[in-house]
Amino acid sequence: MIENFNRFVLANIDALLSGLWVTTYVCFWAFLLALLLGMVACFIRLRGGYLKIVAVGYIEFCRATPILVQLLWVNYVWPEVFGFPQTVVGAGIIALALQSSGYLAETFRSGFEGLPKGQREAALAVGMSRWRIMSRIEAPQVALVVAPVVINQLAVVVKSSTLVSVIAISDLMYQGLKIVNQWYEPIEVLSTIALVYFLLIFTISRAANYAYVHFQTKFGIANHR
Amino acid sequence: MFAALHDALNPALFWEYRVTLLTGLKQNVYIFIESAILAVLIAFVVGTARLSQRPAVRWAATAYTEFFRNTPEYVLLVWIYFVLPLIIGKMLGTHFKLSPHAAAVIGLGIACSGFMSETVRAGLRSISSGQTEAALSLGMSRFTMLRRIMLPQAVRRMLPEAINSLVSLFKSTTIVSLITVQDIMYQVSMVSVAEMRPVPLYTGAALLYCAVIILATQVLQQLTEKWRGRGWA
Repeated sequence: MIENFNRFVLANIDALLSGLWVTTYVCFWAFLLALLLGMVACFIRLRGGYLKIVAVGYIEFCRATPILVQLLWVNYVWPEVFGFPQTVVGAGIIALALQSSGYLAETFRSGFEGLPKGQREAALAVGMSRWRIMSRIEAPQVALVVAPVVINQLAVVVKSSTLVSVIAISDLMYQGLKIVNQWYEPIEVLSTIALVYFLLIFTISRAANYAYVHFQTKFGIANHR
Repeated sequence: MFAALHDALNPALFWEYRVTLLTGLKQNVYIFIESAILAVLIAFVVGTARLSQRPAVRWAATAYTEFFRNTPEYVLLVWIYFVLPLIIGKMLGTHFKLSPHAAAVIGLGIACSGFMSETVRAGLRSISSGQTEAALSLGMSRFTMLRRIMLPQAVRRMLPEAINSLVSLFKSTTIVSLITVQDIMYQVSMVSVAEMRPVPLYTGAALLYCAVIILATQVLQQLTEKWRGRGWA
């Protein structure tokens, strides 16, 4: 077993590490894009007037389609219909971002709707502009309340990112499967990969838990999720 | 672009292959039902074990939950399909093989059970300690207390969260195509390779999933609403 570990895992450590780098890269950009799309969708849903229905449709579509279906859809259909993305990495990032943006939009919305109405009224009464209310009163509180859920969404992104290997993005899973297909010795390589993913995602969800407990005690935030 | 869009929303190809696609969907539904049963069974055992009085049992259950909640389903599925049979075979000293279907059910069931056991634990924890103390002081055994006092109330409180888990389990059943179970996504990719036209099929699959899942969530919530309201809590 140790011998096999040396032969298949340590000998291919460069490929696996480059895979880990690709995973990190894809997850980082997907998460950033998801935050952006989620915020936009949330604002349109809350303050959008007639556009609200579009935002609701978008959010529900993103939340109700499996990530693999979205991945294949974005990868095969979008280039023909919309003309982008041109690369598989782009398709992977967009698909992961779509999926998460739906959940994040709902998270942000619950954050805004959880704020007591009196705060907004009081701020309007003392003559604050809407932008000021957002930046000084609402956003800071919402950010603290939703932070744990948002961090957890990063864990979901990392989890789903294992599937981008299907459209030939050379992430950690892809590199691992390549080694497996080359030598037909799956035990050590796949176990190592499973452990690496577990540690990665476990760390992130611990961080989310820490944020939840820490923010609650430090800033006295109401316990609603 | 409009021609492409029209092509994307053209349902004819979908209709043409309806038999193949429906056989695929049937696979999804079978795997969903089997792994849901597995997940619920494991979740109740592990969820109650997490509240056990013995630290060792508690620790083991916590480790189980944390591990399977934080490992990607795809990695788990591939591991169970490729690695587990080899390890079992080595231990038994014989050749051992898992069918893709069995591997899919085990993998998805275990992954989902991690989430569900957390729900079970939260549900059991939500029963006020006065009730358990009262039950124990009446001389009920811990098992009777669990069966007669805690579970009937806790199950109702778990339902909304459990339905969410089941919905995401159904969504995860799409990935079984990657270990060559011939489910709907497998059929979709086969057909689009044969037809050289990926656009309408993938769009159709996405919309179909979206519709099915939104509908199923609504129906399940409505159906269980009444039952949940009828609690003793």
